[in-house]
Amino acid sequence: MEVIITTEGSETVAQLIGRLDTPASQEVSEALAPLQDKADGTIVLDCRQMSYISSSGLRIFLMLRKATAVKGGKVIVRGISNDIRNVFMMTGFLNLFQIEP
Amino acid sequence: MAITDTFKRLYARQGLAMLLTAGLLLEATALIQYHFSKQGLRDEADRRAQSEMTVARLRIENTTLSVENDARSLSRALSEKLYTPEQFAPLIQRLMENNEVLVNGFIAMEPDYYRWEGRWFEPVVSRRDNGFETIRLGSAEHDYFNTDWYRFAMDNEDGYWSEPYFDADVTQDMVVTFSVPVKDTQGRKVGVFGVDVELTWLDKLIESVQPYQDAYGTLVSRGGMLLGAPAETLTVDRTLRYETLIGRTGWKMSVVIPEDEIYGGIKRVGLIVTLLQLLGLLLLILIIWRSAREQMKLEEAQAGKEKMENELHIAREIQMSMIPKIFPPFPERHDLDLNAVIVPAKEVGGDLYDFFIRDEQLFFCIGDVSGKGVPASLVMAVSRSLFRTVAGHETSPSRIVTSMNDAMAEINESSMFVTFFCGVLDMASGHMRYCNAGHNAPVMLTDAKRMLPVESNLPLGVMAGFTFSEQETDLSYDDAIFLYTDGLTEAENSAKELFGEERMKAALSGRKSAADHMQAIKQSVHEFVGDAPQSDDLTMLFIHFMNENPSTDRHLVLHNNIQQIPQLADFIETIAVEKNLDQALAMNLNLALEEAVTNVIMYAYPDGADGLVDIEAILREGSLEFVVSDSGRPFDPTARPEADVTLQAEDRPIGGLGIFLVRHIMDKVDYARINGKNVLTMTKFI
Repeated sequence: MEVIITTEGSETVAQLIGRLDTPASQEVSEALAPLQDKADGTIVLDCRQMSYISSSGLRIFLMLRKATAVKGGKVIVRGISNDIRNVFMMTGFLNLFQIEP
Repeated sequence: MAITDTFKRLYARQGLAMLLTAGLLLEATALIQYHFSKQGLRDEADRRAQSEMTVARLRIENTTLSVENDARSLSRALSEKLYTPEQFAPLIQRLMENNEVLVNGFIAMEPDYYRWEGRWFEPVVSRRDNGFETIRLGSAEHDYFNTDWYRFAMDNEDGYWSEPYFDADVTQDMVVTFSVPVKDTQGRKVGVFGVDVELTWLDKLIESVQPYQDAYGTLVSRGGMLLGAPAETLTVDRTLRYETLIGRTGWKMSVVIPEDEIYGGIKRVGLIVTLLQLLGLLLLILIIWRSAREQMKLEEAQAGKEKMENELHIAREIQMSMIPKIFPPFPERHDLDLNAVIVPAKEVGGDLYDFFIRDEQLFFCIGDVSGKGVPASLVMAVSRSLFRTVAGHETSPSRIVTSMNDAMAEINESSMFVTFFCGVLDMASGHMRYCNAGHNAPVMLTDAKRMLPVESNLPLGVMAGFTFSEQETDLSYDDAIFLYTDGLTEAENSAKELFGEERMKAALSGRKSAADHMQAIKQSVHEFVGDAPQSDDLTMLFIHFMNENPSTDRHLVLHNNIQQIPQLADFIETIAVEKNLDQALAMNLNLALEEAVTNVIMYAYPDGADGLVDIEAILREGSLEFVVSDSGRPFDPTARPEADVTLQAEDRPIGGLGIFLVRHIMDKVDYARINGKNVLTMTKFI
């Protein structure tokens, strides 16, 4: 699992590449820790190359969402595949995030 | 004839030299075995300790990270409210309501920040049995400007974890403070926000870190204060110690395992091996003693040629005593008919075969040592011992062969090599994995006769570190596999023609028992060769798979270690291909299975005992059934609260998603405790 964090203007973009399963979520959680400080702005989770997500991965998304809720920022989830979109729908995550194609 | 006389002659005939060689050989074999076993146990200990520490560390970090995040976000919220200090306490209280490890929350401002409040301003919100209480600290006696939590937080944007200390002011208990600077809207640091975290939960968590009976975990702070440790620990001299750091806290977790506990088992095995060796040596003495006497008689009567033959006969006898040759070897089994034979050439050679059943899997091998004579037969003996040792704990043929190769290449001074084929046949399913090290391709007797496709790799003992590839195939009821050495295909008749593969395949005809097949081939070779002398050992192994109902169920066994989770993806992929499932369904099944298995790893083995998670997939028309079972403590995932997916982000708890996903992906989910096992059955209709 690879995580690439870039800043584009006022947006912080985290590109998630690979399978976000339970063992991977540990490293991803560490890699995304710096985003806690950007939680007052716009955080984009670029999932175009993320092929899989488990509940431990969803938890990381939720933690970020909570952090931005406190600090007044927002989280945009970009480019999830239809299969993952289905998981978001099941878990009610579609309502929690701003979803972009 | 005097005994002393016999012994003198025995000595003169190198009998003693042979005895010494055999003793050395046995000793070397035992040393190799000891080395491998010890390495295996050590790896196992490393794995267990690391796995448990990771679980414990993740659990602790789950709490400490949430404390850090909470404190940082509240510090920002406070910056917005600097003009209305009366709103501090309600904000802090709301934070503490949502995080129950927090016992105090407080903000301490720079000197004289609010002139009307005086030099010190420190409102503290404390958790009480019946709610929250707000008090004012900060005075000449409680001069916080010089405390660590204040000074270091002012210097550190990300916050500071204090050393644990006894909180005499409020809780009367051990606490640790996490503090972060508070800035005004211009970014100037104007005070510090801090939370006190109680520590009782750490003790229980650390006590659960116990990969072995007498192993224990400890947690110490950056300054060396003990944060958590079991009530009692043994004091032993030799221990293995593992350490890991916990996030930003500076806390260090250690796991200590007494070496005795890891290696204790080897000592007993060592004793047994030594006894067996002594027995073997006695047997050798007996054989040599007897043959020495026979030889004496021969010597008196006959020429030296026969003496030589007799010596080779002894070497042969020793060699043959090492391989299983009672047939049928598994008379109680009806799903397997196996026969093997070595037809020795006149000169002693280095062919070998071996087989045994472990965990319902048939491990078998055949090999041919380059060269002839006693050296070849010694290498053969080493190969066979290595196979037994390595295959005793490894189940992958390629890893067995790789281990054997590394060991042999290391001790191989005479540059002899061994062509070798190793297979592992799962008796329940007929699935066979195999690895070929430069040996002849076996014959598969299925509906048609064909050569089993093999990658040649290198023979054993040629190059250390070579990576051997593994292949697989499936046997159905009544399929058989025939293995042989080149003594068969290269058997020569007096016209110097070779027996060859075609004659071999032709001889393998008709439906008969393994023993009859062997007889038929021996007969066929015998007729072909005629009077020509046999120049090489001829070794054959015939395995007839007779399980009438090989299960088509798929089976996977994982250790309770989250690093093994990715194997589930391959497992599901195999099923998806077989059942032609679409990608979306395959991903959902993968997800449900991962959640179920993660639950087992996290909750069924809280004491960190090593355990297995068994996953069985039963593929039916119209439905797929997955059975996840483990021998951990009773744990019913279906009884865990499910996530409420309708809540807004602020109100959603972090947990409960796993079992929610399992329930929503699968059509039926049932838990039962059966024979001391947790059994979770999940059904998906397709």
